[in-house]
Amino acid sequence: MGLAISDQGLVVSGQRHGFSIAARGEWGHSMELVESYLKAVRRYLPRGMRDDIIAELRVELRSQIEDRQAELGRALTDAEQMVIFKRQGDPMSVAMRYRRTGRSLSVGWELIGPELFPAFLILLSCNLAIASVVVALFLILGHLPFTLQAFLIPMGMEVVIVTLVFILLNFLRGFLGRRMSESWMWPPAELAHLLPLPRWYSATGFAACGLLTLWWLLIPHFPRLVLGEAVPELKFTPEWHRYYVPILAVMLIGAGQRGVNVIRPDWNWLLPMGRFVADGAGAVVMFFFRMHTLVVAADAGSAAQQHLAEAVNARLVWGLFGPWLWLYLGITGLVYGWYCRPYVRRLIQRQRGGVVARAS
Amino acid sequence: MANGSASSEVLENLKGELRRGCLIVAVLAQLRVEQYGYTLRKALADDGLEIDEGTLYPLLRRLETQGLLVSQWREEDKRNKRFYRLSGEGTLILKQLLEEWESINSSLGKILVGA
Repeated sequence: MGLAISDQGLVVSGQRHGFSIAARGEWGHSMELVESYLKAVRRYLPRGMRDDIIAELRVELRSQIEDRQAELGRALTDAEQMVIFKRQGDPMSVAMRYRRTGRSLSVGWELIGPELFPAFLILLSCNLAIASVVVALFLILGHLPFTLQAFLIPMGMEVVIVTLVFILLNFLRGFLGRRMSESWMWPPAELAHLLPLPRWYSATGFAACGLLTLWWLLIPHFPRLVLGEAVPELKFTPEWHRYYVPILAVMLIGAGQRGVNVIRPDWNWLLPMGRFVADGAGAVVMFFFRMHTLVVAADAGSAAQQHLAEAVNARLVWGLFGPWLWLYLGITGLVYGWYCRPYVRRLIQRQRGGVVARAS
Repeated sequence: MANGSASSEVLENLKGELRRGCLIVAVLAQLRVEQYGYTLRKALADDGLEIDEGTLYPLLRRLETQGLLVSQWREEDKRNKRFYRLSGEGTLILKQLLEEWESINSSLGKILVGA
């Protein structure tokens, strides 16, 4: 069997097994996937060592792919390459093995576990950055003084909540064992289509979104769910009713995507597409929704009810439907939009391939 | 059932601890002859000592930082590869580690015969 491989292409020709394959295109595609994987690892590596480590990992991955190709006598499929990447591990965990020094945050490391700890640090940093921006906006718009306390309380809460969530996740990892540890925290967008979505992930999301949608569906019948004890004195404005159905639609898309992925975990394209649509539309709807007066006094002549309506409006606009909501949805919408790129590219490539095939 | 899984977890942890020290000796011994990561991993696997990439490469980097290995990027088969070999200091350390290994092995042999 002869195997000639260069960075430009792969030519496999086997006398012993009686095959002859020229697979330059496939090798180029293999390299695309390898580079996507390496790019994802690179993101989490210590700055000064990135190029060196990536070059070495590239040699390792290429060697493994070449050996497997020589064994099979053909180029590897995407799924076969994914087996190699999976054996290597989640890009974030792979990179963290080069960072393990055990010098800082050892308590967090112990509680959260080495696999989840990098994700914890990244998520916590993002949350704290977003929280500080939102608090600053809130203080500016409310003409309130900038005090240390105004920042420390919400940020302290962020730290506590995110830490508790990750401790729970770590416990679940131990509980669910391998099934959970095999799922990658943030797969690179270019490789996401090769990873079926974990069912537990879609199922828990479906339960949470389902409950939220149910709450929204019940509001017209039970306004108390939003207005509390003030129901007899307040009523929803026409603007509230105008936005009710679009918000419901956004919730249904979100819950629907998760529900479908429980049944079809291999439809991984549905996650970025569904959430791009749901979160993107949700951000736009919520941005405009909170600009309106949402509740008014049931008796327009009652000064007390009007005062109450103003107070409830302020709570809704700055609390339940506060700027954090459309900001959060906008950011996640953008992230999922980014994850849609490889799927759209693959769709275009497939269509082009179809046109070429028909033309020939 | 819960006891069974707990004891198997303990066993896995102990096996891991036992392997870690041995792996270092094996890697150092294997690198008396210059090799790059992939061939080193294959050579170890061929001798019955499987080591995954995620463990090997950070270990090589650590041993190099400690001065026990030296590495060099060089082209082979039209591709740049990082070749590792034992340094002078690494050779001395390996010799001492092997003496320690022999001593532990012989002590264990005596203990196990007595048991």
